[in-house]
Amino acid sequence: MLEVIEPGLFSTIQDEGRPGAADLGVPRGGACDPLALAVMRELVDCREPSTVALEMTLVGPELVARETCLVGLTGADLGCQLLPEGRAVPPGTTFVVHPGTTLRFGEARDGARGYLSLAGGISCERVLGSASTCLVGGFGGFGGRRLATGDVLRPVRPRLMERDGSLWPGRISGVVGGDAPRVVRVVPGPHAEALAADAGALLGSTDWQVSPSSDRMGLRLDGPPIPMVDGGELLSLGMVWGAIQMPPGGQPIVLLADHQTVGGYPVIAVAITVDRPILGQLRAGDRVRFRAVTLDEARRLRLVAGAVLRDAARAFRASAEAHRADKREEPRPT
Amino acid sequence: MSIEPFGDEALLITLGQALDPRINRRVHALAARVRRDAAGGRGPWGTPVAGHASLLVPYDPARASPAQATERLARLLDTAWEEGLEEPRPGRLIELSVRYGGDAGPDLLAVADRTGLTRAQVVEVHASVEYDVFLLGFTPGFAYLGILLRHPLVLSRREEPRTRVPAGSVAIAGEQTAVYPGATPGGWHLIGRTDAVMWDAQRDPPALLAPGDHVRFVPLAP
Repeated sequence: MLEVIEPGLFSTIQDEGRPGAADLGVPRGGACDPLALAVMRELVDCREPSTVALEMTLVGPELVARETCLVGLTGADLGCQLLPEGRAVPPGTTFVVHPGTTLRFGEARDGARGYLSLAGGISCERVLGSASTCLVGGFGGFGGRRLATGDVLRPVRPRLMERDGSLWPGRISGVVGGDAPRVVRVVPGPHAEALAADAGALLGSTDWQVSPSSDRMGLRLDGPPIPMVDGGELLSLGMVWGAIQMPPGGQPIVLLADHQTVGGYPVIAVAITVDRPILGQLRAGDRVRFRAVTLDEARRLRLVAGAVLRDAARAFRASAEAHRADKREEPRPT
Repeated sequence: MSIEPFGDEALLITLGQALDPRINRRVHALAARVRRDAAGGRGPWGTPVAGHASLLVPYDPARASPAQATERLARLLDTAWEEGLEEPRPGRLIELSVRYGGDAGPDLLAVADRTGLTRAQVVEVHASVEYDVFLLGFTPGFAYLGILLRHPLVLSRREEPRTRVPAGSVAIAGEQTAVYPGATPGGWHLIGRTDAVMWDAQRDPPALLAPGDHVRFVPLAP
Protein backbone atom coordinates (compact mmCIF):
# COMPACT_ATOMS: atom_id res chain seq x y z
CA MET A 1 0.00 0.00 0.00
CA LEU A 2 1.02 3.58 -0.64
CA GLU A 3 0.29 6.54 1.61
CA VAL A 4 -0.14 10.00 0.10
CA ILE A 5 2.36 12.55 1.44
CA GLU A 6 1.66 15.19 -1.25
CA PRO A 7 -1.33 14.78 -3.60
CA GLY A 8 0.20 16.57 -6.60
CA LEU A 9 -1.53 19.27 -8.64
CA PHE A 10 -4.70 17.36 -9.48
CA SER A 11 -4.87 13.61 -8.98
CA THR A 12 -8.06 11.55 -9.14
CA ILE A 13 -9.04 7.88 -9.15
CA GLN A 14 -10.25 6.82 -12.61
CA ASP A 15 -11.08 3.61 -14.42
CA GLU A 16 -13.00 2.92 -17.64
CA GLY A 17 -15.81 5.21 -16.45
CA ARG A 18 -19.58 4.72 -16.33
CA PRO A 19 -20.99 5.27 -19.85
CA GLY A 20 -24.08 3.29 -18.81
CA ALA A 21 -25.25 6.04 -16.43
CA ALA A 22 -25.39 8.90 -18.94
CA ASP A 23 -29.20 8.76 -18.92
CA LEU A 24 -29.08 9.77 -15.23
CA GLY A 25 -27.07 12.88 -16.05
CA VAL A 26 -23.85 11.26 -14.81
CA PRO A 27 -20.74 12.16 -16.81
CA ARG A 28 -19.07 9.03 -18.16
CA GLY A 29 -15.75 9.93 -16.51
CA GLY A 30 -12.81 7.55 -16.69
CA ALA A 31 -9.18 8.00 -17.64
CA CYS A 32 -8.73 10.86 -20.11
CA ASP A 33 -6.06 8.75 -21.84
CA PRO A 34 -7.82 5.43 -22.44
CA LEU A 35 -4.75 3.95 -24.16
CA ALA A 36 -2.66 4.49 -21.00
CA LEU A 37 -5.40 2.75 -18.98
CA ALA A 38 -5.64 -0.19 -21.39
CA VAL A 39 -1.86 -0.69 -21.19
CA MET A 40 -2.07 -0.45 -17.38
CA ARG A 41 -4.62 -3.27 -17.30
CA GLU A 42 -2.08 -5.56 -18.97
CA LEU A 43 0.97 -4.26 -17.09
CA VAL A 44 -0.39 -5.02 -13.63
CA ASP A 45 -2.37 -8.04 -14.90
CA CYS A 46 -5.58 -6.46 -13.59
CA ARG A 47 -8.29 -9.04 -12.87
CA GLU A 48 -10.77 -6.68 -11.25
CA PRO A 49 -13.94 -5.67 -13.15
CA SER A 50 -12.37 -2.31 -13.98
CA THR A 51 -8.83 -0.98 -14.13
CA VAL A 52 -8.60 1.40 -11.18
CA ALA A 53 -5.70 3.83 -11.49
CA LEU A 54 -4.57 7.17 -10.13
CA GLU A 55 -4.68 9.82 -12.85
CA MET A 56 -1.99 12.43 -12.10
CA THR A 57 -2.15 15.76 -13.91
CA LEU A 58 0.94 17.82 -14.87
CA VAL A 59 2.57 17.64 -11.42
CA GLY A 60 2.59 14.27 -9.69
CA PRO A 61 2.27 13.30 -6.03
CA GLU A 62 4.67 12.05 -3.41
CA LEU A 63 3.77 8.64 -2.02
CA VAL A 64 5.44 6.41 0.55
CA ALA A 65 5.18 2.62 0.62
CA ARG A 66 3.91 1.19 3.91
CA GLU A 67 3.68 -2.39 2.66
CA THR A 68 5.43 -4.17 -0.19
CA CYS A 69 3.50 -3.81 -3.42
CA LEU A 70 3.90 -3.97 -7.17
CA VAL A 71 3.37 -0.62 -8.89
CA GLY A 72 2.62 0.01 -12.57
CA LEU A 73 3.13 3.30 -14.41
CA THR A 74 1.77 4.39 -17.80
CA GLY A 75 0.80 7.61 -19.56
CA ALA A 76 2.87 10.79 -19.56
CA ASP A 77 6.30 10.71 -17.89
CA LEU A 78 5.99 12.61 -14.60
CA GLY A 79 9.58 11.89 -13.63
CA CYS A 80 9.00 9.23 -10.95
CA GLN A 81 11.96 8.72 -8.62
CA LEU A 82 12.36 6.07 -5.95
CA LEU A 83 13.95 7.46 -2.78
CA PRO A 84 16.27 7.15 -0.96
CA GLU A 85 18.05 5.14 -3.67
CA GLY A 86 17.36 7.81 -6.28
CA ARG A 87 16.42 5.46 -9.10
CA ALA A 88 14.26 6.97 -11.86
CA VAL A 89 11.37 4.82 -13.13
CA PRO A 90 9.92 5.49 -16.57
CA PRO A 91 6.26 4.85 -17.40
CA GLY A 92 5.47 1.64 -19.26
CA THR A 93 6.87 -0.69 -16.63
CA THR A 94 6.21 -2.24 -13.22
CA PHE A 95 8.37 -2.33 -10.12
CA VAL A 96 8.21 -3.55 -6.54
CA VAL A 97 8.44 -1.09 -3.68
CA HIS A 98 9.16 -2.03 -0.08
CA PRO A 99 8.09 -0.29 3.14
CA GLY A 100 9.82 3.05 3.53
CA THR A 101 10.45 3.65 -0.16
CA THR A 102 9.23 7.05 -1.37
CA LEU A 103 7.82 7.57 -4.88
CA ARG A 104 8.41 11.19 -5.77
CA PHE A 105 6.89 12.48 -8.98
CA GLY A 106 7.82 15.75 -10.65
CA GLU A 107 6.39 17.70 -13.57
CA ALA A 108 5.22 16.14 -16.82
CA ARG A 109 8.00 16.54 -19.38
CA ASP A 110 5.54 16.13 -22.21
CA GLY A 111 1.83 15.34 -22.22
CA ALA A 112 -0.50 16.04 -19.31
CA ARG A 113 -1.56 12.86 -17.52
CA GLY A 114 0.35 9.99 -15.92
CA TYR A 115 -1.24 6.87 -14.42
CA LEU A 116 -0.29 4.72 -11.43
CA SER A 117 -1.86 1.48 -10.33
CA LEU A 118 -1.11 -1.53 -8.13
CA ALA A 119 -1.16 -5.26 -8.73
CA GLY A 120 -4.43 -6.28 -7.12
CA GLY A 121 -6.19 -2.98 -7.93
CA ILE A 122 -6.87 0.03 -5.70
CA SER A 123 -9.52 -0.19 -3.01
CA CYS A 124 -12.02 2.69 -3.26
CA GLU A 125 -15.70 3.59 -3.59
CA ARG A 126 -17.52 2.07 -6.59
CA VAL A 127 -20.75 3.73 -7.70
CA LEU A 128 -22.90 2.72 -10.67
CA GLY A 129 -20.37 0.11 -11.78
CA SER A 130 -17.29 2.31 -11.72
CA ALA A 131 -14.62 3.59 -9.35
CA SER A 132 -14.10 6.79 -11.34
CA THR A 133 -14.18 10.03 -9.39
CA CYS A 134 -17.28 12.04 -10.30
CA LEU A 135 -16.28 15.51 -9.12
CA VAL A 136 -19.57 17.21 -10.00
CA GLY A 137 -21.60 14.51 -8.21
CA GLY A 138 -19.17 14.09 -5.32
CA PHE A 139 -19.00 10.30 -5.51
CA GLY A 140 -16.71 7.49 -6.67
CA GLY A 141 -13.00 6.97 -6.04
CA PHE A 142 -12.07 8.69 -2.78
CA GLY A 143 -15.41 10.23 -1.82
CA GLY A 144 -15.82 11.91 -5.19
CA ARG A 145 -12.91 14.27 -4.56
CA ARG A 146 -9.34 14.67 -5.71
CA LEU A 147 -6.52 12.90 -3.90
CA ALA A 148 -5.49 14.41 -0.56
CA THR A 149 -2.61 14.04 1.89
CA GLY A 150 -3.21 11.03 4.13
CA ASP A 151 -5.18 9.01 1.56
CA VAL A 152 -4.03 5.42 1.19
CA LEU A 153 -3.80 3.47 -2.06
CA ARG A 154 -4.46 -0.09 -0.92
CA PRO A 155 -4.82 -3.10 -3.22
CA VAL A 156 -8.22 -4.81 -3.19
CA ARG A 157 -6.50 -8.20 -3.25
CA PRO A 158 -2.76 -7.72 -2.64
CA ARG A 159 -0.82 -9.71 -5.19
CA LEU A 160 2.87 -9.79 -5.96
CA MET A 161 3.81 -11.01 -9.39
CA GLU A 162 7.16 -11.76 -10.77
CA ARG A 163 7.70 -9.13 -13.38
CA ASP A 164 11.15 -8.47 -14.77
CA GLY A 165 10.56 -4.76 -15.08
CA SER A 166 10.69 -4.95 -18.85
CA LEU A 167 9.22 -2.06 -20.79
CA TRP A 168 5.87 -2.31 -22.56
CA PRO A 169 6.63 -3.11 -26.21
CA GLY A 170 4.44 -0.40 -27.72
CA ARG A 171 2.82 2.98 -27.15
CA ILE A 172 1.83 3.68 -23.53
CA SER A 173 -0.07 6.94 -23.99
CA GLY A 174 -1.41 9.55 -26.36
CA VAL A 175 1.64 11.73 -25.76
CA VAL A 176 3.03 13.02 -29.05
CA GLY A 177 6.58 14.35 -28.87
CA GLY A 178 8.13 17.17 -30.88
CA ASP A 179 7.09 20.73 -31.60
CA ALA A 180 4.74 20.14 -34.53
CA PRO A 181 1.01 20.68 -33.93
CA ARG A 182 -0.76 17.56 -32.64
CA VAL A 183 -3.04 16.12 -35.31
CA VAL A 184 -6.49 15.01 -34.19
CA ARG A 185 -8.67 13.27 -36.76
CA VAL A 186 -12.34 14.21 -36.92
CA VAL A 187 -15.55 13.26 -38.68
CA PRO A 188 -18.26 15.84 -39.44
CA GLY A 189 -20.61 16.58 -36.55
CA PRO A 190 -24.42 16.59 -36.64
CA HIS A 191 -24.48 20.40 -36.95
CA ALA A 192 -21.70 20.82 -39.52
CA GLU A 193 -24.19 22.66 -41.73
CA ALA A 194 -24.31 25.46 -39.15
CA LEU A 195 -20.80 26.45 -40.25
CA ALA A 196 -20.50 29.32 -42.71
CA ALA A 197 -19.35 28.41 -46.21
CA ASP A 198 -15.58 28.76 -45.71
CA ALA A 199 -15.58 27.92 -41.98
CA GLY A 200 -14.87 24.23 -42.50
CA ALA A 201 -11.61 25.05 -44.28
CA LEU A 202 -10.72 27.56 -41.53
CA LEU A 203 -11.38 24.94 -38.86
CA GLY A 204 -9.06 22.49 -40.62
CA SER A 205 -6.26 24.90 -41.55
CA THR A 206 -5.92 26.59 -38.16
CA ASP A 207 -3.33 25.68 -35.55
CA TRP A 208 -5.54 25.81 -32.46
CA GLN A 209 -3.95 26.55 -29.13
CA VAL A 210 -5.10 24.77 -25.99
CA SER A 211 -6.32 27.33 -23.45
CA PRO A 212 -5.29 27.18 -19.75
CA SER A 213 -8.99 27.08 -18.80
CA SER A 214 -9.22 23.48 -20.06
CA ASP A 215 -10.02 20.65 -17.66
CA ARG A 216 -11.32 17.05 -17.61
CA MET A 217 -14.67 18.29 -18.97
CA GLY A 218 -13.23 19.82 -22.09
CA LEU A 219 -10.39 21.50 -23.95
CA ARG A 220 -11.00 25.15 -24.79
CA LEU A 221 -9.21 26.19 -27.95
CA ASP A 222 -7.93 29.63 -28.88
CA GLY A 223 -7.81 30.65 -32.52
CA PRO A 224 -9.63 32.77 -35.08
CA PRO A 225 -13.40 33.02 -34.52
CA ILE A 226 -15.20 30.49 -36.70
CA PRO A 227 -18.11 32.08 -38.57
CA MET A 228 -21.43 30.28 -38.10
CA VAL A 229 -24.55 30.59 -40.22
CA ASP A 230 -26.70 29.65 -37.28
CA GLY A 231 -24.91 29.79 -33.96
CA GLY A 232 -28.06 29.78 -31.87
CA GLU A 233 -28.54 27.51 -28.90
CA LEU A 234 -30.26 24.21 -29.58
CA LEU A 235 -32.57 22.04 -27.54
CA SER A 236 -30.37 19.96 -25.24
CA LEU A 237 -29.12 16.80 -26.90
CA GLY A 238 -26.89 13.94 -25.79
CA MET A 239 -23.16 14.59 -26.15
CA VAL A 240 -20.15 12.38 -26.80
CA TRP A 241 -16.47 12.44 -25.76
CA GLY A 242 -14.64 14.18 -28.60
CA ALA A 243 -17.55 16.36 -29.74
CA ILE A 244 -16.31 19.78 -30.91
CA GLN A 245 -18.88 22.29 -29.68
CA MET A 246 -19.13 25.82 -30.99
CA PRO A 247 -20.45 28.21 -28.34
CA PRO A 248 -21.35 31.78 -29.32
CA GLY A 249 -18.07 33.60 -29.99
CA GLY A 250 -16.72 30.82 -32.15
CA GLN A 251 -14.04 29.41 -29.82
CA PRO A 252 -14.38 25.63 -30.01
CA ILE A 253 -14.59 23.32 -26.99
CA VAL A 254 -13.53 19.68 -27.41
CA LEU A 255 -15.39 17.53 -24.89
CA LEU A 256 -13.33 15.12 -22.74
CA ALA A 257 -14.22 12.25 -20.42
CA ASP A 258 -16.03 14.37 -17.77
CA HIS A 259 -18.21 16.20 -20.32
CA GLN A 260 -21.80 16.99 -19.44
CA THR A 261 -24.17 14.32 -20.72
CA VAL A 262 -26.23 16.82 -22.71
CA GLY A 263 -25.43 20.15 -24.31
CA GLY A 264 -27.03 22.86 -26.38
CA TYR A 265 -24.21 24.18 -28.57
CA PRO A 266 -23.83 23.12 -32.21
CA VAL A 267 -21.41 20.22 -32.71
CA ILE A 268 -19.48 20.90 -35.90
CA ALA A 269 -17.11 17.92 -35.81
CA VAL A 270 -16.30 14.94 -33.60
CA ALA A 271 -12.80 13.64 -32.83
CA ILE A 272 -12.56 9.95 -33.60
CA THR A 273 -12.36 7.53 -30.68
CA VAL A 274 -8.86 6.29 -31.52
CA ASP A 275 -7.53 9.85 -31.01
CA ARG A 276 -9.05 10.31 -27.53
CA PRO A 277 -5.66 9.47 -25.94
CA ILE A 278 -4.07 12.37 -27.87
CA LEU A 279 -6.79 14.77 -26.63
CA GLY A 280 -6.25 13.55 -23.06
CA GLN A 281 -2.55 14.38 -23.18
CA LEU A 282 -2.87 17.94 -24.55
CA ARG A 283 -1.78 20.71 -22.20
CA ALA A 284 -2.20 24.48 -22.16
CA GLY A 285 -0.21 26.07 -24.96
CA ASP A 286 -0.07 22.92 -27.13
CA ARG A 287 -1.09 23.47 -30.72
CA VAL A 288 -3.59 21.11 -32.32
CA ARG A 289 -4.76 20.68 -35.88
CA PHE A 290 -7.89 18.84 -37.03
CA ARG A 291 -7.85 16.54 -40.04
CA ALA A 292 -11.06 15.19 -41.56
CA VAL A 293 -11.43 11.44 -42.12
CA THR A 294 -14.39 9.29 -43.13
CA LEU A 295 -16.37 7.14 -40.71
CA ASP A 296 -15.09 4.00 -42.40
CA GLU A 297 -11.52 5.21 -41.99
CA ALA A 298 -12.23 5.96 -38.32
CA ARG A 299 -13.48 2.40 -37.85
CA ARG A 300 -10.49 0.91 -39.66
CA LEU A 301 -8.08 2.94 -37.49
CA ARG A 302 -9.89 1.77 -34.38
CA LEU A 303 -9.69 -1.89 -35.38
CA VAL A 304 -5.97 -1.50 -36.20
CA ALA A 305 -5.30 0.20 -32.84
CA GLY A 306 -7.09 -2.67 -31.07
CA ALA A 307 -4.98 -5.25 -32.91
CA VAL A 308 -1.73 -3.38 -32.16
CA LEU A 309 -2.61 -3.29 -28.46
CA ARG A 310 -3.44 -7.01 -28.39
CA ASP A 311 -0.13 -7.85 -30.13
CA ALA A 312 1.83 -5.77 -27.62
CA ALA A 313 -0.02 -7.47 -24.75
CA ARG A 314 0.83 -10.91 -26.17
CA ALA A 315 4.51 -10.00 -26.52
CA PHE A 316 4.59 -8.57 -23.00
CA ARG A 317 2.94 -11.65 -21.48
CA ALA A 318 5.34 -13.94 -23.37
CA SER A 319 8.32 -12.03 -22.00
CA ALA A 320 6.91 -12.21 -18.47
CA GLU A 321 6.36 -15.98 -18.88
CA ALA A 322 9.94 -16.45 -20.07
CA HIS A 323 11.16 -14.49 -17.06
CA ARG A 324 9.19 -16.72 -14.69
CA ALA A 325 10.53 -19.85 -16.42
CA ASP A 326 14.11 -18.55 -16.03
CA LYS A 327 13.50 -17.95 -12.36
CA ARG A 328 12.23 -21.49 -11.85
CA GLU A 329 15.43 -22.88 -13.31
CA GLU A 330 17.65 -20.88 -11.00
CA PRO A 331 19.07 -22.93 -8.14
CA ARG A 332 17.29 -22.24 -4.89
CA PRO A 333 19.42 -20.53 -2.29
CA THR A 334 20.21 -22.76 0.62
CA MET B 1 -37.09 12.46 -38.31
CA SER B 2 -33.46 11.72 -39.11
CA ILE B 3 -30.71 9.30 -38.13
CA GLU B 4 -27.15 10.51 -38.51
CA PRO B 5 -23.72 9.61 -37.17
CA PHE B 6 -22.52 11.40 -34.04
CA GLY B 7 -18.82 10.47 -34.09
CA ASP B 8 -17.65 6.94 -34.81
CA GLU B 9 -19.49 5.13 -32.02
CA ALA B 10 -22.91 6.79 -31.77
CA LEU B 11 -25.95 7.70 -33.85
CA LEU B 12 -28.28 10.63 -33.28
CA ILE B 13 -32.01 10.37 -33.89
CA THR B 14 -33.64 13.78 -34.23
CA LEU B 15 -37.43 13.86 -33.85
CA GLY B 16 -38.06 17.58 -33.95
CA GLN B 17 -36.78 21.05 -33.14
CA ALA B 18 -39.40 22.10 -30.61
CA LEU B 19 -39.76 21.77 -26.87
CA ASP B 20 -42.89 19.64 -27.07
CA PRO B 21 -43.99 17.09 -24.44
CA ARG B 22 -45.48 14.83 -27.14
CA ILE B 23 -42.20 14.67 -29.05
CA ASN B 24 -40.33 14.09 -25.81
CA ARG B 25 -42.61 11.17 -24.89
CA ARG B 26 -41.77 9.64 -28.28
CA VAL B 27 -38.06 10.05 -27.50
CA HIS B 28 -38.45 7.98 -24.33
CA ALA B 29 -40.60 5.37 -26.04
CA LEU B 30 -37.81 4.96 -28.63
CA ALA B 31 -35.19 4.80 -25.85
CA ALA B 32 -37.15 1.92 -24.31
CA ARG B 33 -37.14 0.13 -27.70
CA VAL B 34 -33.37 0.56 -28.03
CA ARG B 35 -32.79 -0.74 -24.49
CA ARG B 36 -34.98 -3.76 -25.26
CA ASP B 37 -33.04 -4.47 -28.46
CA ALA B 38 -29.78 -4.22 -26.52
CA ALA B 39 -30.97 -6.52 -23.73
CA GLY B 40 -29.42 -9.96 -23.98
CA GLY B 41 -26.70 -8.53 -26.20
CA ARG B 42 -28.77 -8.63 -29.41
CA GLY B 43 -28.38 -5.05 -30.56
CA PRO B 44 -24.92 -3.41 -30.47
CA TRP B 45 -26.30 -0.52 -28.37
CA GLY B 46 -24.98 1.26 -25.31
CA THR B 47 -27.20 3.28 -22.97
CA PRO B 48 -29.31 5.70 -25.05
CA VAL B 49 -29.24 9.34 -23.91
CA ALA B 50 -32.45 11.33 -24.34
CA GLY B 51 -32.43 14.96 -25.40
CA HIS B 52 -35.56 17.09 -25.49
CA ALA B 53 -36.40 16.01 -29.03
CA SER B 54 -33.53 13.65 -29.88
CA LEU B 55 -31.98 10.38 -28.82
CA LEU B 56 -28.26 9.66 -28.78
CA VAL B 57 -27.68 5.94 -29.37
CA PRO B 58 -24.11 4.72 -28.72
CA TYR B 59 -23.05 1.48 -30.42
CA ASP B 60 -20.07 -0.83 -30.28
CA PRO B 61 -18.03 -0.33 -33.48
CA ALA B 62 -16.49 -3.77 -32.96
CA ARG B 63 -19.96 -5.27 -33.48
CA ALA B 64 -21.37 -3.03 -36.18
CA SER B 65 -20.13 -0.73 -38.93
CA PRO B 66 -21.71 2.73 -39.09
CA ALA B 67 -23.87 1.51 -41.99
CA GLN B 68 -24.95 -1.65 -40.16
CA ALA B 69 -25.79 0.27 -36.99
CA THR B 70 -27.76 2.87 -38.96
CA GLU B 71 -29.67 0.16 -40.80
CA ARG B 72 -30.55 -1.74 -37.65
CA LEU B 73 -31.66 1.44 -35.89
CA ALA B 74 -33.76 2.50 -38.91
CA ARG B 75 -35.49 -0.92 -38.91
CA LEU B 76 -36.11 -0.59 -35.18
CA LEU B 77 -37.74 2.79 -35.72
CA ASP B 78 -39.84 1.52 -38.65
CA THR B 79 -41.18 -1.31 -36.52
CA ALA B 80 -41.86 1.07 -33.66
CA TRP B 81 -43.79 3.33 -36.01
CA GLU B 82 -45.81 0.48 -37.51
CA GLU B 83 -46.68 -1.03 -34.15
CA GLY B 84 -47.36 2.36 -32.68
CA LEU B 85 -45.17 3.82 -29.99
CA GLU B 86 -46.47 2.66 -26.67
CA GLU B 87 -46.72 5.27 -23.94
CA PRO B 88 -43.77 5.09 -21.57
CA ARG B 89 -44.47 3.65 -18.12
CA PRO B 90 -47.12 5.63 -16.26
CA GLY B 91 -45.14 8.23 -14.35
CA ARG B 92 -45.48 9.01 -10.70
CA LEU B 93 -46.66 12.39 -9.43
CA ILE B 94 -43.99 13.77 -7.13
CA GLU B 95 -44.64 16.79 -4.95
CA LEU B 96 -41.73 18.94 -3.87
CA SER B 97 -42.14 21.40 -1.01
CA VAL B 98 -40.48 24.71 -1.77
CA ARG B 99 -39.54 27.76 0.25
CA TYR B 100 -39.85 30.58 -2.28
CA GLY B 101 -37.96 33.86 -2.14
CA GLY B 102 -35.65 35.31 0.49
CA ASP B 103 -32.31 33.55 0.92
CA ALA B 104 -33.85 30.42 -0.60
CA GLY B 105 -34.77 32.19 -3.84
CA PRO B 106 -32.49 35.20 -4.33
CA ASP B 107 -33.78 35.91 -7.86
CA LEU B 108 -37.51 35.90 -7.03
CA LEU B 109 -37.69 39.67 -6.77
CA ALA B 110 -35.80 40.21 -10.04
CA VAL B 111 -38.04 37.67 -11.80
CA ALA B 112 -41.11 39.51 -10.48
CA ASP B 113 -39.70 42.83 -11.69
CA ARG B 114 -38.87 41.50 -15.14
CA THR B 115 -42.23 39.77 -15.64
CA GLY B 116 -44.34 42.56 -14.16
CA LEU B 117 -45.81 40.21 -11.60
CA THR B 118 -45.80 40.36 -7.84
CA ARG B 119 -43.65 37.82 -6.00
CA ALA B 120 -46.81 36.03 -4.87
CA GLN B 121 -48.00 35.80 -8.47
CA VAL B 122 -44.68 34.34 -9.62
CA VAL B 123 -44.98 31.67 -6.93
CA GLU B 124 -48.61 31.04 -7.83
CA VAL B 125 -47.81 30.55 -11.51
CA HIS B 126 -44.78 28.35 -10.83
CA ALA B 127 -46.70 26.16 -8.39
CA SER B 128 -49.80 25.89 -10.59
CA VAL B 129 -48.23 23.77 -13.31
CA GLU B 130 -47.90 19.99 -13.30
CA TYR B 131 -44.54 19.50 -14.99
CA ASP B 132 -43.24 16.65 -17.14
CA VAL B 133 -39.73 15.31 -16.57
CA PHE B 134 -38.17 15.75 -20.03
CA LEU B 135 -34.78 14.28 -19.34
CA LEU B 136 -31.95 13.97 -16.84
CA GLY B 137 -28.75 15.75 -17.84
CA PHE B 138 -26.25 18.51 -17.06
CA THR B 139 -25.29 17.01 -13.67
CA PRO B 140 -26.26 13.76 -11.91
CA GLY B 141 -29.99 13.80 -11.23
CA PHE B 142 -30.65 17.23 -12.79
CA ALA B 143 -34.14 16.97 -14.30
CA TYR B 144 -35.30 19.33 -17.04
CA LEU B 145 -38.96 20.04 -16.23
CA GLY B 146 -41.52 21.71 -18.44
CA ILE B 147 -43.37 23.31 -19.67
CA LEU B 148 -43.97 26.92 -18.73
CA LEU B 149 -45.19 27.73 -22.23
CA ARG B 150 -48.07 30.21 -22.31
CA HIS B 151 -46.97 31.40 -18.88
CA PRO B 152 -45.45 34.80 -18.27
CA LEU B 153 -42.33 33.38 -16.56
CA VAL B 154 -40.37 32.73 -19.73
CA LEU B 155 -37.00 34.43 -19.18
CA SER B 156 -33.66 33.80 -20.82
CA ARG B 157 -30.83 32.62 -18.58
CA ARG B 158 -28.88 34.96 -16.33
CA GLU B 159 -26.19 36.83 -18.20
CA GLU B 160 -23.64 35.98 -15.53
CA PRO B 161 -23.97 32.36 -14.41
CA ARG B 162 -23.32 31.79 -10.71
CA THR B 163 -20.17 29.80 -9.97
CA ARG B 164 -21.95 27.99 -7.16
CA VAL B 165 -25.66 27.37 -6.71
CA PRO B 166 -26.81 25.79 -3.41
CA ALA B 167 -28.13 22.21 -3.61
CA GLY B 168 -31.93 22.07 -3.76
CA SER B 169 -32.25 25.43 -5.52
CA VAL B 170 -35.45 25.67 -7.56
CA ALA B 171 -34.76 27.57 -10.74
CA ILE B 172 -36.38 28.70 -13.99
CA ALA B 173 -34.99 29.48 -17.44
CA GLY B 174 -36.82 29.71 -20.74
CA GLU B 175 -39.85 27.47 -20.70
CA GLN B 176 -38.33 25.11 -18.14
CA THR B 177 -37.79 24.72 -14.43
CA ALA B 178 -35.44 22.49 -12.46
CA VAL B 179 -33.97 21.69 -9.06
CA TYR B 180 -30.17 21.76 -8.74
CA PRO B 181 -29.29 18.39 -7.14
CA GLY B 182 -25.90 19.48 -5.82
CA ALA B 183 -23.86 22.63 -5.38
CA THR B 184 -22.72 23.35 -8.94
CA PRO B 185 -22.34 26.34 -11.24
CA GLY B 186 -25.68 27.45 -12.67
CA GLY B 187 -27.15 30.06 -14.98
CA TRP B 188 -30.86 29.72 -14.18
CA HIS B 189 -32.91 32.13 -12.02
CA LEU B 190 -33.18 30.89 -8.44
CA ILE B 191 -36.67 31.38 -7.04
CA GLY B 192 -36.77 28.92 -4.15
CA ARG B 193 -35.29 25.89 -2.47
CA THR B 194 -36.44 22.39 -1.55
CA ASP B 195 -35.09 19.93 1.01
CA ALA B 196 -35.87 16.99 -1.30
CA VAL B 197 -32.76 14.95 -2.07
CA MET B 198 -32.70 14.94 -5.87
CA TRP B 199 -29.61 12.71 -6.08
CA ASP B 200 -28.10 10.19 -3.67
CA ALA B 201 -25.39 7.98 -5.15
CA GLN B 202 -26.07 5.35 -2.45
CA ARG B 203 -29.83 5.20 -3.20
CA ASP B 204 -31.35 2.89 -5.81
CA PRO B 205 -32.26 4.51 -8.09
CA PRO B 206 -30.00 7.43 -7.18
CA ALA B 207 -32.09 10.05 -9.02
CA LEU B 208 -35.37 11.10 -7.37
CA LEU B 209 -37.00 11.84 -10.74
CA ALA B 210 -37.17 9.83 -13.96
CA PRO B 211 -38.47 10.72 -17.41
CA GLY B 212 -42.23 10.21 -17.51
CA ASP B 213 -42.70 11.37 -13.93
CA HIS B 214 -44.72 14.49 -13.15
CA VAL B 215 -43.72 17.13 -10.65
CA ARG B 216 -45.69 19.68 -8.70
CA PHE B 217 -44.11 22.33 -6.49
CA VAL B 218 -45.90 23.02 -3.22
CA PRO B 219 -45.16 26.39 -1.58
CA LEU B 220 -44.27 26.21 2.09
CA ALA B 221 -45.66 28.96 4.27
CA PRO B 222 -43.01 31.72 4.52
